[in-house]
Amino acid sequence: MMYDYFSSIVTGITAKLEQDPQGIHARKRYALAVATLGRRLYSGDARIAWCGVTAPFDLLNSMGVTSCFVEFVGAMLASTETAELFMQGAEDAGYAADSCAYHRAVTGAMLKSAMPVPDFIIGTSSPCTAGLAVMENMAKQYNRDLFVVNVPQSESPDAVRFLARQIEEMAGFVGDHTGQALSRNRLGEALELTNEATVLIKEIYGLAKQKPSPVDSRFLNNFGVVITLFMGTREGVDICRGFRDELRHRVATNAMDASQERIRLMWVQNRIQFPFPLESMLAEYGAKIVVDELNDVTWEPMDPDNPFESIARRILSIPFSRNADARVTHLQTLAREYQIDGAINPCHWGCRQGTGLRGIISNGLKEIGVPVLNLEIDCVDSRNLAEGQIHTRFEAFTEMIQG
Amino acid sequence: MYFLGIDIGSLSCDAVLIDEAKNVVSSSVVPTGVRNLEAIARVTKDVLEQSGISEGDIAAIISTGYGRTRVENRDGAVTEITCHAKGIQEVIPGTRVLIDIGGQDSKAIHIGENGNVLDFAMNDKCAAGTGRFLEAMARALEVDILDLGDLDRGAESDLVLSSMCTVFAESEVVSLIANGTEQREIARGMNRAIASRTFSLVKRVAREIDGLTISMSGGVALNSGVVRALRESLKTDTIHIPEKPDTIGALGAALIARERKA
Ligand code: SF4
Repeated sequence: MMYDYFSSIVTGITAKLEQDPQGIHARKRYALAVATLGRRLYSGDARIAWCGVTAPFDLLNSMGVTSCFVEFVGAMLASTETAELFMQGAEDAGYAADSCAYHRAVTGAMLKSAMPVPDFIIGTSSPCTAGLAVMENMAKQYNRDLFVVNVPQSESPDAVRFLARQIEEMAGFVGDHTGQALSRNRLGEALELTNEATVLIKEIYGLAKQKPSPVDSRFLNNFGVVITLFMGTREGVDICRGFRDELRHRVATNAMDASQERIRLMWVQNRIQFPFPLESMLAEYGAKIVVDELNDVTWEPMDPDNPFESIARRILSIPFSRNADARVTHLQTLAREYQIDGAINPCHWGCRQGTGLRGIISNGLKEIGVPVLNLEIDCVDSRNLAEGQIHTRFEAFTEMIQG
Repeated sequence: MYFLGIDIGSLSCDAVLIDEAKNVVSSSVVPTGVRNLEAIARVTKDVLEQSGISEGDIAAIISTGYGRTRVENRDGAVTEITCHAKGIQEVIPGTRVLIDIGGQDSKAIHIGENGNVLDFAMNDKCAAGTGRFLEAMARALEVDILDLGDLDRGAESDLVLSSMCTVFAESEVVSLIANGTEQREIARGMNRAIASRTFSLVKRVAREIDGLTISMSGGVALNSGVVRALRESLKTDTIHIPEKPDTIGALGAALIARERKA
């Protein structure tokens, strides 16, 4: 079923792109790459690994493994409005209905055999240990080996060494399961491609910061998280170039609609993944999202001569890998750089990062004069969301900002 | 010239008509019922009849509340957050924290020195601690909802209803009655439960409330037991209650209509 679904998307987008082969169409090309990855995961003939969000996908790509974080499946099921069926299945099997719905959806899909069986599993303790529990269940369910990357909450030299050693061990684990040892040359090439893509990503974010911003609320939706899956590949570089070119084009042709930007917003953590008229609702009030918390480059370029340490430093630089202060400081920096007027925190149900830090994040942003709207919604489970309530909160928030 | 504000809430539909000098000329509160268009027509007719003015004399109409987009002849729709903040400033100037507990939502609004909204928080997941909750409790206690306010007089225990889920709280009340717990102690426990929930809403918008003028609007402000429990939990001697707390949203809407026409 999922294979057919992804295949039909690939066919549909390819046909559309063929009508205008010279066009940039950044988001369409990105959607095509995502659907192609989805199709490969469900094809049954790729070597696949289910992973945690902060796994080093460039390293895995260099080893010929089709890898993906499990939350991607949760988001994808939500976007196709099929998540409820799987979440219900997980709840019926005894999973708490107020646990993170990304994981509930994935667990339900696993129980209903709607997840491709992996060759092996790589769990990461960042951004949340709830994800690790899913990985453990998955390892049991599929009788597959699990490698856990424990991410320390610090950037100290010891923490870097500790994590770098684990990454190296992980590469050994992958080699043992694929029968192909890591090639330092191929890894070096992959990291060069990561660096090439990262330069483009930085330019994308730099352009998004402009006032008025050439992005609309949807343009970079989920971008920062999903693009990590394509790191270390030429395809990843091409996707980033497409986004960069489209933004350059918008700036050059003055295509930014300043009237849609009376209020510049930051979205905290993940977006709502099921079909929901977020962007049009915001547009009604002249508001748009110019930055997402997850869209940032917090690391230095990768050093191909020192790959494990570089990867470790990258993982540790991600604010979600560290403590609450790191996240607040990062959000404050983004708020200033993007000159935002307010922030929206969905406070995703059951999420330690989302609901657990609600007050700390609000206070941190209020300290620098940025008002925060805490929604307390479920970004994956549409059964837990009342559109009218959200409408009122957006409207009241924009009225408040405009005084 | 007159200005009309209509607040269509889940339980009641309120209208306030003011003149150019901001005097309240007439007001009306009716149950919203299932057909809110009928309720809107009724309050509009009421305020016109009471004041003796004709519809043509109304210069602007602003609607608010969850049904604000249902008012067909409106000149604008504004959220209840902005309207309540505006309305309370008119009747209790200097209010910095407004607690509004209505039919099925409760909110805390932090208001700046110049009357602007600084922050707000609303109950999110259920109707616990709102008018609907009180209705269910009155049913469980077998008293009229209007008599709930004084029911806790003389109660002294530290009982707090453990559950704030309306359905579970109702069955908790039934068990307490069966155990012989006095009605006034149960009523106090219920008020303290509402107060503790409201307290966290207030703290979410204003960390320091010492010295700030706190006011309350919405139908639940008429329940003296809840107000007493709130005073205790907020550690304040005074919570200001306007004369007609259930029409503050509509008053704010009328004031905004007047401003927009100026
Ligand atoms: S939303 Fe929160 S709980 Fe869910 S996967 Fe992300 S960090 Fe973990």
